[in-house]
Amino acid sequence: MSRLEAKKPPLFISEPLTKDTVSQSLSLLSGILKSCYGPAGRLKQLHNGVGGYVCTTSQSSAILSRLSVSHPVLSVLTASVQNHISRFSDCGLFTAILCCSLVENFKSLNVASCTVIKISKHLLSLCMDYLKSEACGCRVSVDFSSLEALLCLVRSVLTSKPACMLNKPEVDHLTTLILKAFMFTVPCHVETNAVLGKCIIVPVKGRRVVDSTVLPGLLIETPDTQLAKPLAVKRTCSNMIKIALFCVSMSGDLSNPEEGTITVPYGISLEMSELNQLLNVGKQLVNDEVGLVVCQKVIHPSLKQYLKENHVITVDRAGLSLMEPLSRMTGSKPIASIHSLSPSCYGSLKDMRIEKFASKHFVHLIPNDTVVCSLILCNRNETAWDELKRACETAEHVLQLTIKEPLALLGGGCTETHLASYIRHKSCSLSTSSFKDIDCSRTQYQLVADGFCRSLESVACSLNHDDGEILTDMVYGHCWFVPSGFPSVSNWSDLVSKCGCGINGNTENLNWRLLQGQFGSPIIQGCPKDPSVKVADFLTLDCFAAKCSGLQVALETANLILDLSYIIEDQN
Amino acid sequence: MAFRDVNARRHIGLQQLSSLALAGRTLLGPMKSCKFIVDESTNQSTLICSAVRLIESLDLTSAAGQLLNETIQAQNKEFKTGMSTLLFLIGAWSNAVLECLQQNVPVSAIVSVMSEGLNSCCERVQCLQISTHDVNKELCSSSVRPNAFKSKTCQIGHDDLLNPQIFLHFQKDISAPEEVIPINSCPQQEDDCNFNKCLVSPLTGFGSIASLVKPAGDKSTSVISGSGVTASSCNRQKLTHSRYFSTLGKSHFSSQQGNFQGYLSGQCECYGLGHLAMTLSHGNQTSMKLLQSIVAYQQERAECSGSSRFNIAEIVTCCLLGLPESYSCVSPGFVTLVSPEQATVIKYFEDKPLRILLMDGDLTEQYRHLGFNRPCNVRTVLEHPSLQEVRAGDLWLSSMLDILISFKVNLVLVKGNVCENLMERCIANSILVIGSVTRDVLCAFGEVTSAQPVTYLTQLNASCVGSGAQVELWEACDGRAMDLGELVPVGIKVRGVPLLTAVLTTTVASKMQLIEDQFWTLVYRLHHALNDEKVFLGGGAVELLCLSHIQMLAEQPLQPANKNTVKEFHNPWLAASATEYKSVVLQALASGWKQYLSVVMCNTAKAASELEACTLVDHHLKKAAESGSPSAYILKGFRRGDLLRGGSGPFADHGEGLKVYDNVTAKTEAWRRALDSVLLVLQTDAEIITGPKRNQLLNSHVSSEFMFL
Repeated sequence: MSRLEAKKPPLFISEPLTKDTVSQSLSLLSGILKSCYGPAGRLKQLHNGVGGYVCTTSQSSAILSRLSVSHPVLSVLTASVQNHISRFSDCGLFTAILCCSLVENFKSLNVASCTVIKISKHLLSLCMDYLKSEACGCRVSVDFSSLEALLCLVRSVLTSKPACMLNKPEVDHLTTLILKAFMFTVPCHVETNAVLGKCIIVPVKGRRVVDSTVLPGLLIETPDTQLAKPLAVKRTCSNMIKIALFCVSMSGDLSNPEEGTITVPYGISLEMSELNQLLNVGKQLVNDEVGLVVCQKVIHPSLKQYLKENHVITVDRAGLSLMEPLSRMTGSKPIASIHSLSPSCYGSLKDMRIEKFASKHFVHLIPNDTVVCSLILCNRNETAWDELKRACETAEHVLQLTIKEPLALLGGGCTETHLASYIRHKSCSLSTSSFKDIDCSRTQYQLVADGFCRSLESVACSLNHDDGEILTDMVYGHCWFVPSGFPSVSNWSDLVSKCGCGINGNTENLNWRLLQGQFGSPIIQGCPKDPSVKVADFLTLDCFAAKCSGLQVALETANLILDLSYIIEDQN
Repeated sequence: MAFRDVNARRHIGLQQLSSLALAGRTLLGPMKSCKFIVDESTNQSTLICSAVRLIESLDLTSAAGQLLNETIQAQNKEFKTGMSTLLFLIGAWSNAVLECLQQNVPVSAIVSVMSEGLNSCCERVQCLQISTHDVNKELCSSSVRPNAFKSKTCQIGHDDLLNPQIFLHFQKDISAPEEVIPINSCPQQEDDCNFNKCLVSPLTGFGSIASLVKPAGDKSTSVISGSGVTASSCNRQKLTHSRYFSTLGKSHFSSQQGNFQGYLSGQCECYGLGHLAMTLSHGNQTSMKLLQSIVAYQQERAECSGSSRFNIAEIVTCCLLGLPESYSCVSPGFVTLVSPEQATVIKYFEDKPLRILLMDGDLTEQYRHLGFNRPCNVRTVLEHPSLQEVRAGDLWLSSMLDILISFKVNLVLVKGNVCENLMERCIANSILVIGSVTRDVLCAFGEVTSAQPVTYLTQLNASCVGSGAQVELWEACDGRAMDLGELVPVGIKVRGVPLLTAVLTTTVASKMQLIEDQFWTLVYRLHHALNDEKVFLGGGAVELLCLSHIQMLAEQPLQPANKNTVKEFHNPWLAASATEYKSVVLQALASGWKQYLSVVMCNTAKAASELEACTLVDHHLKKAAESGSPSAYILKGFRRGDLLRGGSGPFADHGEGLKVYDNVTAKTEAWRRALDSVLLVLQTDAEIITGPKRNQLLNSHVSSEFMFL
């Protein structure tokens, strides 16, 4: 007997942003994310509370993917930040913090949200135009003929993740490795549309970071039993190794279990017939002079034995993630069926050998033309290794984005404060006709612009986690840090040494002011200057594409959240 | 998601680390006091004597506890040594960092100064490294002084293990259980009343061990009670080969002279590894002697074949419960335990060479290789039932047996399990099948017999079967009958097989694991020493130099800020406040090693109290500083063998002590891992609890501690 239950009516919540719970949750989330930001950021232990794996991290990708938020407003925010991370890897925290700040700042303004949205869109276009213009004072162009700027980009990514537990020599070592790995993935012969290769991260946990290394080609882990003796590989007449790549299981089970039952008369073994089929494939492989068989899944021991007797090397359980790079590297087509085997599927390899790292044995496949490489990544324990892997992937992605658009933004909070200075300057000098276009008053515009600038500045302030002061200068609009323990009345020029990104030193009086705490008093800001010297040596640099996208995503998400007037919740 | 702030005033995570690590204090140094871990819910207890086993037995549900466990396991997996040091330093540095937080030192300053300080120390102590080659030479040069030589040189063979005096001496070294840690409560022994609550009375502790050893007979019980009597005095026991403590008690000296007779003459170079093993043994006589035998065997083999001198993959252990510890020895070949029924097969073998088969899976009808998915929708129909139908299982059994018989296989080594019925049929047909054999063993037999491991018997062809194996019942050195009840040790040999089995014996069941652990620790120490190609001076020399180096760093005037910044990556968010708090934080770093030294000195009874030990360390630090070159001072002390000694002790006049050495990488990695875990926890300001636990927390009484998103 079935029982019908009356459906509950949906729950309407109007003006969700005015609710206390929303603003509390939002400020808690904002607090968590701000505390993670930057090289001195605090870490979070993510775990299930019953003794499971503990993830210690300060990266937005790790935190947001495990965080379950209950409120729809927060879900909107986390979803759009995660989408940004999936496309750019970097600047996730920047985006999330800025978005929270924008919502909080705009909400407190006494301006209609539709006006806020219009003005903020105008402000965003000002920012984007400036960032894309030659005159932009907070970006540097990346010269791919020298290493400095590239090293800076990678180093900035690595040092901003303290849970990797790297010391200075280790950062230097990894920075070089990541760049080297990236260089391997750039094709030597560029045709009309060049495609970057791939860097595969091979885990070796428990080792020192300095034991990490990069090798061209691919590494596949294998149990060491079969590889005790030196490898004798069968080669073709052109001295290459012919390789067959299978993406279908060769374990000898019934490959595709479909619906229904198979009825077999007693005495006939399906396993045997499957195995015979496999052995036929083996015969053909031997006839075709294949020297190496790689299978994504498992190869039946009998087939392995047969191939071994015929001097064909087998590597099984290569895994799905290696198939695409393997096929690209060797020019072979993955074979998806053991019933039809076309000789055109075979690829070729230049060489192969056995490598040993820690207690693991690997088959090292070396291609003719290297666009695929393996980064053997070591770190002392699981948590730190996971964090380091994410950081390395981010760094590789940043380099890929930078080669498309060879620009970088100044890091260490300088871009944020510089942009804020620029907007403050611009918003004062805007013509009255512009206000008409936006349909707002000058005061409204100034209020929203101020909120926008304070949001940007609050991101820069989030870099500071111990007591101390954050300053900005009136000349370049950069961000400066003063350690705690000094009276705020003292002369700032005695206390600062270098700005956040490291481009400006304390050489002239730059007219510093406190970044926080002077709200209300209007700040008269000249147009921030471009630092005259642009040596990209030992600077903190951020990925241009990622930060620009972060800025846009943060503002658009904040606008979307401000625009929410109802939440309709299905209670069933 | 639930969210908890862990950084309120006193850092919860660091406190957890420090209290967990406290339980491992007595495991530090060569004189370890064993512990009983008692599970309050089941009343089962385990005897442990190492940090790994301690951590394995504790309830570690907190995030910091999990991290601690992960760190210890990682060190164990990589090195098999240095875990007690790691555990201790985690505790000591957690406490020191908590002190810094109390003094309002910013977290970023603690992190950067401590990690740079450790780096600097690791570089500094490189001058206390000595190449393993030089350790060998040291033996040659000291052999001119026969008196010193006799006490030092190693011996081969295991006759000396029979010496009752050594045996007794060893028994006492494994000191009586000192504390009982209830498994389900937080170990906090600092204040007395708490301590007493945790401590089940010693009598019940011994009671439980006495019940454990009952089947072994009266003798072993008396041994245990004997050590119970000496419990209070055993910390005063003088050690012979301790790295911390290198005096030789006169009585032991003479008793050892008696033992170390009839060695090698003049060939000291060849036995260099044996000497190295002794210097790394840190007083563990039994393991050392076994290792020396192994080294001697392998060296002999290496001279013939040119293979590597020490190969860890060729060593296996076999634990025999029920024989006195003096029966421990090294047997060439592979020794393992089989059932008495299997053992009966052996007498049919006599001395003829056997045909051997290796299998790298299970030997059962149901077993399929990894990755084989059983089809679930296949139905078998019998179309013409006949009367002589055999059961499917029997069919398999007889066909497998037919294969084995047709290839004339006598001996099957199987990596996994073996089907019971097949085992019986094999025994009836005089085929010995042994299961649960490790891969290294299979490989070793594969290499010398040219047998190819197979997964299924159906794969078998003539080239897969090897030949020339020999099986015999394993006998103790005096031919004592093996009446161990259920299992019988057998030895499998093939001419030229490189395998060596360390047969570990004890009459006390709860000590078996402990003895095996200690043996492997020593094996790995030698392995790492040879890999590193160098060793550290032991006896606290390295830690003392670290302390003196930190003293110098702290006194150093602050480096001019611009001197090095020109070509260095600039990071104002990390570096700015560091200089100000440098000396406070460096002191915190130093306190870890200072406590380490003093606890080791207390555990080895070189100092009556930690205070006394600290004073002694300070005294030496002062003298080292005054000498102008601390490293030279420490080196001199080490050579004289009176490092970290008061100078007025009863054996102060003793001549050259035994040199003790330590692993380089294992030690510095343990330091680094310890500091990393502490700093990782220090930088953590919040726990985020995900998953179903959230709702539980929301409704629990501690919900006020959490914030919910």
